[in-house]
Amino acid sequence: MKAIEVKVLTKRYGKAVGVEDLSFDVEEGEIFGYLGPNGSGKTTTIRCMMGLLRPTSGWCSVLGKRVMHGRATQHRRIGYLPGDFQIWPGRTARKSLRVLAALGGGNGLKKKREELSERLDLDLDRKVGTLSKGNRQKVGIIYAFQHSPDLLILDEPTIGLDPLVRQTVLELIREVAAAGATVLLSSHDLSEVAAVCRRAAILREGHLVELAPIPQIVQQGERRLKVWFANDAKIPPVPADSLDGIRVIKQNAESLEVAYLGSADAVLKWLARFGVDRIATPQTSLEDAFIQYYRREAGHEQ
Amino acid sequence: MRSFSITDGRPDMNNSNRSPFPFALLKFWTLRMLPAWLLIAFMIFLFQIAICDVVHDNERVKALIQYVEMLPAFIKALMGGEILEVGNIAGLIAIGYQDPLVLLLYMLFAVGVPTALLAGEIQRGTMELILSRQTAKLHVYICAGLITIVGMYALVLVMFSGTIVATKIYDFYQEVPLYFFFKIAIVGGMLASAVGGIALLAAACFRRGMAVSLTVAFLVVEYFISIISDWWPRMEWMAPLSIFNYVDGPEIFENPGWPIGDMCVLLSILTISTILGGIIWHRRDLPL
Repeated sequence: MKAIEVKVLTKRYGKAVGVEDLSFDVEEGEIFGYLGPNGSGKTTTIRCMMGLLRPTSGWCSVLGKRVMHGRATQHRRIGYLPGDFQIWPGRTARKSLRVLAALGGGNGLKKKREELSERLDLDLDRKVGTLSKGNRQKVGIIYAFQHSPDLLILDEPTIGLDPLVRQTVLELIREVAAAGATVLLSSHDLSEVAAVCRRAAILREGHLVELAPIPQIVQQGERRLKVWFANDAKIPPVPADSLDGIRVIKQNAESLEVAYLGSADAVLKWLARFGVDRIATPQTSLEDAFIQYYRREAGHEQ
Repeated sequence: MRSFSITDGRPDMNNSNRSPFPFALLKFWTLRMLPAWLLIAFMIFLFQIAICDVVHDNERVKALIQYVEMLPAFIKALMGGEILEVGNIAGLIAIGYQDPLVLLLYMLFAVGVPTALLAGEIQRGTMELILSRQTAKLHVYICAGLITIVGMYALVLVMFSGTIVATKIYDFYQEVPLYFFFKIAIVGGMLASAVGGIALLAAACFRRGMAVSLTVAFLVVEYFISIISDWWPRMEWMAPLSIFNYVDGPEIFENPGWPIGDMCVLLSILTISTILGGIIWHRRDLPL
C-alpha cells in the first residue's frame, strides 16, 4: 500500500524549475529518506504534497487521497514539520501547540504533548520568542508528533539540535514507524538518513537522480582502498589514464588512499608491482555516495 | 490498522472529507485582534462624547465656527462644510462621523487587521503551520474576512452608541434625530466594510508592506477626491469616483427613506473586492 505517491510532478516558478517529472512512491510504514542539496527541490516537493503549492503538472497523493491545492486533503492524519519552523513568538509554546492541535480537531492531546516535552527536555511554558533555535526546533518536533499522525513529513527535523536530542528525535521516528506510521525524512544529514531509512531518493536541480535502498546507493558509489607501502618502496604516481575511474584521495610518504569505481582488479594488479606493506578498505558511507552522485551528475567524473 | 481509500491502485479523487470550518482559528485571530479593536472602539466612542460636549453649547459652537472660518476652505470641507452652523445640532454631531481622526482610526483597523492576519502570518512563517492542519485555504481567508468586515461594522455601531450615550448625557434643547444617525451608521458601516473588503483584497494579493501601502494610498486618494469634489464646484464630476461619496450625510438627513442606490454601490464594492480577494488567495501560491 502506498502512503505517498508522486507522479510526473513538475513545479515551475516562472522560468525557474522547482522540480521536473518527479515520480516516486513511499510504502506504508516505511521511513523514506529524501536527499538533496539546497535548492534541489525537496521543499517544493513537500509543499506540493501538503497542498501548499499548485503543481504545474503531475500530481501527488497522500494516504490514498489525491492532493488538491489549497485543501486539507488528509492533514488531520499528517504530522508536518517545515524546513524553517516559525511559530508565534509572543505566545508560550504550550498555547501555540494547543491552537494548532485544535485546528486539526485534535483537542485532548495534552498527555502526548507533555510526554514529548519531557523526552525532549523542553519547557512549554516559556514564550517561543525567548527560546533558543534548538528549543524552537523542539517545539516543531512536538507539533509534528503531538497528534500521533499516520504520516510524518519532516523537512530537516534535526537542524539546530544537539547530538543527544538528535538521537532522541531519531528514536521517535523509529518508534512511530514501528507503530505503523510512514515517515518522509528530508535531510542534509546523511548519517541520520542512513541510520533510520530503508530507502532514499536523491534529488538534484529538481530531478530525481537515484531512488534505491540505502545499501544499494552506498554500493553504487566509489569504493576506497588505502595502501601502506614497504619502507624502501617509492610511492608511484597513479596512472589515471590507464586505470579508469580512479582518483587520489590522500597521499603522503608512506601511504596512498584512492577511490575507484567498479572492480578492484585493475587497481590491485597495478599495486602488485610495488612493495606493499598492508591494505585497508575503508567503508564507503552514504555521504561518499551522495557526493559521488553530485560529482557524476555535474560531469566531474575522473 | 490504518485505512486507505484506494481503488484500482489509483488515489481517491473524490475529496469527500471536507475540512470543517476552522472555528479555532477564528477564535484565535479574534482574540488576537480584540485589544486593538477595543482600543479603537473606545477612542471612537470617546470622540463622539467629546464632539457632543462641544456642540451642545452654542457659545462653544460659535467659537468653533469662527475658528474654522479663519482656516482654509478645504479644512472646513474636511470637517463637514456647510453643515457647520449654530443650531444645526444634527449636522454638528455628524462632525464626529466624518472627522479625519475618526476616519484614520477606521483606516487603522481596516488596513491593519487583514494585512496582519493574511500577509502577516505568511511573512512570519506561521501560515504554513495553519495550512498544514485540517484547514482549507479558503476558510482561512473567510476567517480573516469575517474579523475585518464584522469588526469594521461593529466599530460603526460603537460610534452610533457613542452618539446615543452623549444625547443622554447632554441637553441639546431640541430633539436629536437619532433615527437619521442610525441610518448614517448603517450606511457608514457598509462603507467601513467595503474599505475592509478592499484591504482584504490587497492582503490576499501582496506582501504586508505592499498591501498596507496600496490600501492606505487608495483610501487617502479617495478621501481627497471626496474633499476636493465637495469643496471645488468644477471638480464635482469626480464625486462618484470616491467611495466616501456614497455616505451622503445631508441627503440622509433630508430624505426619510434609505439611500438604496448608495447602499447598493457599497455592497457591490464589498462583494466584488471580497470575492476577488478570495479567488486570488485561493489560486495563488503563497510565498511561504
